[in-house]
Amino acid sequence: MEDDTMWGNIFRRQVKSETSIYSVLSKVPIFKDLSKKEIKAIERILHRRTYKAGEAIFHEGDPGVGMYIIEDGRVNITLGKQEKLLAVLSNGEFFGEIALLSETPRTASVVAVNESKMLGFFQPDLFGLMETDPKMGNKILHRLAQMIADRLRFSNLENQQLKLKLTELEEKTSRKKGS
Amino acid sequence: MDLTVGKFLRFVIILFFAAVLAYLIYSLSEIITVMIISALIAYILDPMASYFERQGLSRTTATTIIFLLIIASIGIIGWLIIPGLVSELFTIHGNISLSDTDALAGSIEKFILDIFPFINPDAFDIKLKIAGLITALTDESLSVLGNVVTIISTFAIVPFIVFFLLRDGRSMKKGFIAYVPNRYFEMTLNFLHKVDQQLGGYLRGQFIEAGVVGVLSVIALGVLEIKYFTVIGIFAGLANLIPYVGPVAGAIPAIIINMIEGGDTATIIYIIAAFALIQFIDNMFVQPMVLSRSVDLHPLVIVLAVLVGAQFFGLLGMLLAVPAAGIVKVTFRELYDGVRKFHLLS
Repeated sequence: MEDDTMWGNIFRRQVKSETSIYSVLSKVPIFKDLSKKEIKAIERILHRRTYKAGEAIFHEGDPGVGMYIIEDGRVNITLGKQEKLLAVLSNGEFFGEIALLSETPRTASVVAVNESKMLGFFQPDLFGLMETDPKMGNKILHRLAQMIADRLRFSNLENQQLKLKLTELEEKTSRKKGS
Repeated sequence: MDLTVGKFLRFVIILFFAAVLAYLIYSLSEIITVMIISALIAYILDPMASYFERQGLSRTTATTIIFLLIIASIGIIGWLIIPGLVSELFTIHGNISLSDTDALAGSIEKFILDIFPFINPDAFDIKLKIAGLITALTDESLSVLGNVVTIISTFAIVPFIVFFLLRDGRSMKKGFIAYVPNRYFEMTLNFLHKVDQQLGGYLRGQFIEAGVVGVLSVIALGVLEIKYFTVIGIFAGLANLIPYVGPVAGAIPAIIINMIEGGDTATIIYIIAAFALIQFIDNMFVQPMVLSRSVDLHPLVIVLAVLVGAQFFGLLGMLLAVPAAGIVKVTFRELYDGVRKFHLLS
């Protein structure tokens, strides 16, 4: 009976951990088109890292290698030496995805607020996937491109609104000067 | 005081571990060589496994298929070439050190007089020099073959290691990266990827090029009916790993053997033309396809690498010196780049 409980506990713990990674990954937009089997394959590729509270995941200016998905924990995204807080992310959220496409330096620093478990998905892994399973690689790339296109559209909209505001402001000041 | 004792103790401990490491490397050098050769083979075969994976096969099935293909080709090559190759090596070794040097020296003198009638061939001690050179070369080739036990154990162990490296290499790499501390993790990942990107094409290219040049040389020399054409052709292919000297190093033994066998001047010209044609094919068609020259090495570095290789590992060291120098160059450049970009020294 005791044995049963022991094995039961081990088994349950494993299942729980597997389902938790699956549920985290299936909610990440770039993996949304993937089947259950494909997400399992992604799980095997991902790097699991644990960070202590206060430990940096990466620093602003470091070369970008890939993205991180928060499996469990909370991180602060900060900017500059003053460490201006830009955002706080937690379970299931992700950051650094632009580095999957281009090797530009990181635009912000990310620090773990408490002990955090991360799943890292990096450019070499994506390239490897495109080589061994181009169909799956394409699905991910397509989603990534869609996400970036959405963001670009949003930025454009924001840019247009700001420009509009600026011209309105310029008109107002010139009118004030005129009168 | 305590600080000084502590520092001294740390120094002694580091020294002790360095000595243990050096001793282990020295005493396990044969196993390390086997590991390196296996890793190199697995690395060269990796894209093939990826190709089969792309066709929808699992990594294990892909690796098994590659192994079956290799066993089949080794079987065919072994059946066709190896008995002849070994007997050729022994014949060259035995013959040259006995009577043929006289014939060779005579032919060379005649050849030199044909082209440069004003030269006095007695001025050079051609006979002795050639005998020494050829015996040394075939000695090396025979010592590469080594004793039977080593060959059999190596032939049994290498495929075994290659199979598992090819099948599990990716998870082994991931396992290794898992142990890297967080601070160095991204740098290590980036470093391994960059080194792989540059070396993959370079090493595969070098060996594919050597293979193509080797096969073409065997065919060309076979057509020209040069004796020992298999040995010379394979040597020409391997020599191609050394830039600048490689192509010449392949033609010279063929010319020498032709002279020993009393071949005429026309055949020498055919040999030179054949090697020139092979180099043309290599430069125009093979090199652009395989990116084998993607790691630029300064001629001085190549010369030094070949000398160091020859000093420590003989003929095999000479042939593998240039790819080894390429590996060292890319590794150090990327390591330096990574440390600088990730601000690890500041």
